[in-house]
Amino acid sequence: MARRIAASLALAVLLLAAAAGTWRSVRPNGPTDPARSLAAELRCPACQGESVADSRSPIAAAMRDAISAQLAQGHRPEEVRAYLVRRYGPEILAAPPAHGVALLLWAAPAFVLLAGLAPAAVRAVRRTRRTVPAAGHRARSEPAKRRTPRSLAGDGTRRASSRPRPRAAGARIWNISAVCLLALVGGVALATPHPPARPEPATTADPVPGQLALARSMEEQGSYGAAAEVYRTALERQPADDIRLRLAFTLIRSGQADEAERLARQVLASQPDAPDALLMLGLAQRATDRDAAGVTLRRFLARAPAHPAAAEIRRLLDSG
Amino acid sequence: LRTSRRPLPGLLRGIRIRWIPLLALLAVAALGLALAAGTSGNGQGAAGGMASRAPGAPAPALARQTLTGDPFDLAALRGQVVLVNIFASWCGPCRNELALLAEAQRRWSARGLHVVGVDVRDSAEAVRALLDETGAGNLTVLPDPTGTTAVDWGARGVPETFLVDRDGRIAHWEPGPLTAQWLDQRVTPLMAP
Repeated sequence: MARRIAASLALAVLLLAAAAGTWRSVRPNGPTDPARSLAAELRCPACQGESVADSRSPIAAAMRDAISAQLAQGHRPEEVRAYLVRRYGPEILAAPPAHGVALLLWAAPAFVLLAGLAPAAVRAVRRTRRTVPAAGHRARSEPAKRRTPRSLAGDGTRRASSRPRPRAAGARIWNISAVCLLALVGGVALATPHPPARPEPATTADPVPGQLALARSMEEQGSYGAAAEVYRTALERQPADDIRLRLAFTLIRSGQADEAERLARQVLASQPDAPDALLMLGLAQRATDRDAAGVTLRRFLARAPAHPAAAEIRRLLDSG
Repeated sequence: LRTSRRPLPGLLRGIRIRWIPLLALLAVAALGLALAAGTSGNGQGAAGGMASRAPGAPAPALARQTLTGDPFDLAALRGQVVLVNIFASWCGPCRNELALLAEAQRRWSARGLHVVGVDVRDSAEAVRALLDETGAGNLTVLPDPTGTTAVDWGARGVPETFLVDRDGRIAHWEPGPLTAQWLDQRVTPLMAP
């Protein structure tokens, strides 16, 4: 009895551990980026078995950009998903909506589980039915009849006495292998310290170049306000001076010289004579203080006489 | 449960084969395999039928500046046959088919063919160099630095070609490189007035 309780307890602990491990691997991982989670639901059309979020193929990168751009325009994730399904067909969904025979596929695991459990359940029910009247002496006096009524036809008595041994051995093998499997799953669940932050490296390494390309194309199309927003997002992730200066340039073109000047000064604080920063500062100052702008732009020309923008700046200074 | 009466030899002695569960398991596995094969087959079959590139579907919008800075709008070319080629200078097969496209433009432009290249995630310098190199300067090239236009057309990669008929509908879609034979077979019938 004590052994049975101990075994049940161990089984319960292992089951709990297995459930915990499964939950940890499937639960949503903290606050998620909607663009990334949508990309993770889509199959990359140019690759085998990779999601749009994970693929390095250019078309997947373009799809990520399209998703970010549409979300930035205020479309809801469902609308963006519907748009991509219209473009690529429902087969780009990693989990297509199940209908018809495909639904049976989802039922298969449950069916397998039932098929596995049903014999055990039947046996358990039979055993309890048997043990209820077994209180009387009838069961003990007629063991052969109780266990295998069919085998009485032949050399029933010999078979009946030898049958329980292999059946018990078989059951024991089933039980041991089931417990081993559970122990394995539970052990893996307990031994894994934490799910490694797997999407993180991809998201931190990936989005900035994509955002920069997106912002640049927005600039090319003349939508400086939107481009500035994208640069700001990129800057939050990667506070780099060249992104600050790109943002400053976009702001100058969209008429927000104050913020551009502040950004250029930020860069100059760490690199006092950086030509690009001087150029942005000078261009930003032109909106407010023409004289200061002249001084800054001359400093820029002195620093970098061969800069690609130098000729243009000389013309600007000459014209006043 | 019915079990095999015959004991197995050697190591397996004492273990009886449970036929019913075994057969059930095999049946379920076979069902799963059959369904899996069936659905993946359906997926492939639906690829051409459902998406926007299906023949007869209206061509997606295509309006942006060309590489040379001129405005371009596909809607303004209604009444002409337009061959939209999704390409990039970093893609080998695309480089190889440019000469063929330039030749198609020369051959059929008088009869109303317009060849347009959508240059996906590429730099303007690289594509200009490529056009010079392949003698394809006569093509209209639309830079698509983010690739979102290619996504709008449902392109799965490069190269990929869409043939838009005079009514602005997708007539043919060809993933992968083009051949002179494909152009002959698909473009010639559309050229008939």
